[in-house]
Amino acid sequence: MSKAEGIADVCDVCIVGVGGMGGILAKDLASAGLKVVGFERGPAPKKEDYAPRDSIRFLIRPQTLDWVRHEPTTTRRKTGDKTNLQYRTSPLNVLGGALLHWTGQSSRYTPGDFKLHTNEIESGNAERAKADLSGYDIIDWPLSYDELEPYYEKFEWEFGISGQAGANPFAGPRQRGFPLPPLRHSGKMQLFAEACKKLGYHPYDTAAGIASEPYKPAAPFDTRIGQRPACVYCGHCNFYGCHVHAKSASLYIAIPVALETSNFELRTNSKVYRINTDSSGQVTGVSYFDPDGAAREQRARVVILTAFVFEHARLLLISKTGKGRFAKGLANSSGYVGRNIMAHGDVRAMGAFDDFIVNGFIGPGSAAMRIDDFNGNNFDHTDLGFIRGGTIGTSGDGTPVTRLDVLPPGVPGWGKEFKEFYTRYYTRTMDLNMQPETLPHPANRVDLDPRHRDRWGLPLPRVTFEFHQNEQRLQKYLAVVGDKIMRATGANKVWTEEKGRPNRWAGGTRMGADAKNSVVNANCQTHDVDNLFIVGSSVFPTMAGYPPTATVAALTYRLADFILRQKQWFK
Amino acid sequence: MTLCRYLLGRDFCYADRTIFFGGMGKFSMATSENRKASLKVLSEEEAVTLAAIAERIFPKTDTPGAVEIGAVNYIDVALAGDYAALAPLYRQGLRAVQRYSRAKFGKRFFELADDDMDGVLRDFETGNADTFKPAGEFFETVRYHVLEGVFCEPQYGGNKNMIGWRLVNFPGQQFGYPDPYINKRVDVEPVAVDTRKAEGK
Repeated sequence: MSKAEGIADVCDVCIVGVGGMGGILAKDLASAGLKVVGFERGPAPKKEDYAPRDSIRFLIRPQTLDWVRHEPTTTRRKTGDKTNLQYRTSPLNVLGGALLHWTGQSSRYTPGDFKLHTNEIESGNAERAKADLSGYDIIDWPLSYDELEPYYEKFEWEFGISGQAGANPFAGPRQRGFPLPPLRHSGKMQLFAEACKKLGYHPYDTAAGIASEPYKPAAPFDTRIGQRPACVYCGHCNFYGCHVHAKSASLYIAIPVALETSNFELRTNSKVYRINTDSSGQVTGVSYFDPDGAAREQRARVVILTAFVFEHARLLLISKTGKGRFAKGLANSSGYVGRNIMAHGDVRAMGAFDDFIVNGFIGPGSAAMRIDDFNGNNFDHTDLGFIRGGTIGTSGDGTPVTRLDVLPPGVPGWGKEFKEFYTRYYTRTMDLNMQPETLPHPANRVDLDPRHRDRWGLPLPRVTFEFHQNEQRLQKYLAVVGDKIMRATGANKVWTEEKGRPNRWAGGTRMGADAKNSVVNANCQTHDVDNLFIVGSSVFPTMAGYPPTATVAALTYRLADFILRQKQWFK
Repeated sequence: MTLCRYLLGRDFCYADRTIFFGGMGKFSMATSENRKASLKVLSEEEAVTLAAIAERIFPKTDTPGAVEIGAVNYIDVALAGDYAALAPLYRQGLRAVQRYSRAKFGKRFFELADDDMDGVLRDFETGNADTFKPAGEFFETVRYHVLEGVFCEPQYGGNKNMIGWRLVNFPGQQFGYPDPYINKRVDVEPVAVDTRKAEGK
């Protein structure tokens, strides 16, 4: 139970979504004395709800999870297509959110990732590459790597990230190393590293939100955070909660500290369905359904949305007013709410070995080697027909029930031949995972589904998304590179999947310097409403070839700092 | 061993009165009393047809096949729970398989020779069995569920005695691995954890 009793009618800050990032905000804001109310639409999970090493529950039937099944999206490739209902594991509608079950890949973006318009278009790179950028809507971030660097550091040291500074020659500068050494190397990391070195590439240990040794932050970081044990390499990691709490998750890192402050009131199973405004154009608080389904209101001086890409756009669009400045949706004078959503178009290269037992099921998923040689602008794009790139790393963890599609061409999915292949090669396959960057395209968007509603009667978010010309070319290119690396490992059979699968969402409420083509500014503050903030990958104007989490966390820590400097708001 | 026991791998499914349906060849049927005690959703005939399909998807060779590993029981249990919405697809699909077999070979599916069974299944897989519109969807669903039943955590009613895991040399729900096992066979006994029991559910 929350210790904060009797928070006044008007709280200082209302957080919509107490997931990974909501937990960080609650900790830092409540610790500084602000009265914070956090709304989480899902329950507070017990360890037995999230930590069983049960692949049927978490990977095969995730749609049966209480925190997945209530808020699907509808999905289509383009306007005019029929939609399908899609259950998604991001966001995770549960206290602590998707940091509970993330893989833990904790890469920082690099300085160039924040300046796509400058570096790719103004510089002439796109022209030299003969890239076709028609239809895209590329802008620079309104902040730089250097401005985020101290906050990356804070995340890494509070959440105990394992990694090796200096190992990746393409990384941005850092003031401090990692708090923990890299995770133990596995067979697939060894194979990959050797192959990459042979080819002249630069393999490094992926920064991982998994403790390689027992960890507790020391000063100058938050020493109230409890100790976490080291990873036991069980392999039930990606999409599972961690049964020893070695994974970096807000649920047991940030949220308990927030609750200890007496300034944080947590309301679980409480669904915010509207952000309220007054005639002056300020946000006054939120309306929500309490656990019994009763409609209630919470007034607040500041509202922060941290409820993931789809929900941010949906909530802003639902919160429109009949007429006036919010007639198109809250904070949507630009018309950009919901626009330019992005997802990596993951492609894979797979290999099967006659002479090497990979044992890929030994974890964790983020014990991985990567190369950045084909990421961003790290390679010559002349005449390639596309800009940007993606990181390439080892993957291929999973129990036997989750790798049934890892079959080389020519091996059928059933029958005697299938059985022969799978029983011999399940422990002898590995994958390379490419995370190709996707450029912002306004046709890729979230809006309100006109027909389908959720259990509260609210319109579902409708996701319209497809990969356009730059992505298609880049995905194909990276699949070829993956194939080359996999061959260099000595795998006896190598095959690739060159059509991207959407993974790791971003955009929809992008940040920008210009209020006419973006939704929030560099401080995650909406251009239209001073006391409304949005934080998450939804504010990314462009996405790099890395997973977004560390950058989202850095933005979140930075936002907490910004809010705490606005003392005049909380007198 | 009765079919029921064979299909479901359940110890309480005894065989005091086994009846044999004419022409069911290598599959025998348990009594309806036994059925009530064991099959949750599927009828006997449906279970027999499904078992025959499952054996073609993951056949018995010199090692056990899908039925012995418990895949039919896995599906029956799932259709009574998380996969309940798919029960109509199973009903219609299994009937369509029988119909198609009769039309093409004049026999029930489970009476066919192995190659003919495979032919029927391939027609479903590729959508050539156009008398049943969702043939491809049905086949893919069954294929996937059968393999789930072979490799699932045993608490879900398949992967009996962890045979599926043993076949691929996966040691199950280990607490962790002190050794990275780089290029060597994992030499520990597989572990299954019933997470429902652990949760008191």
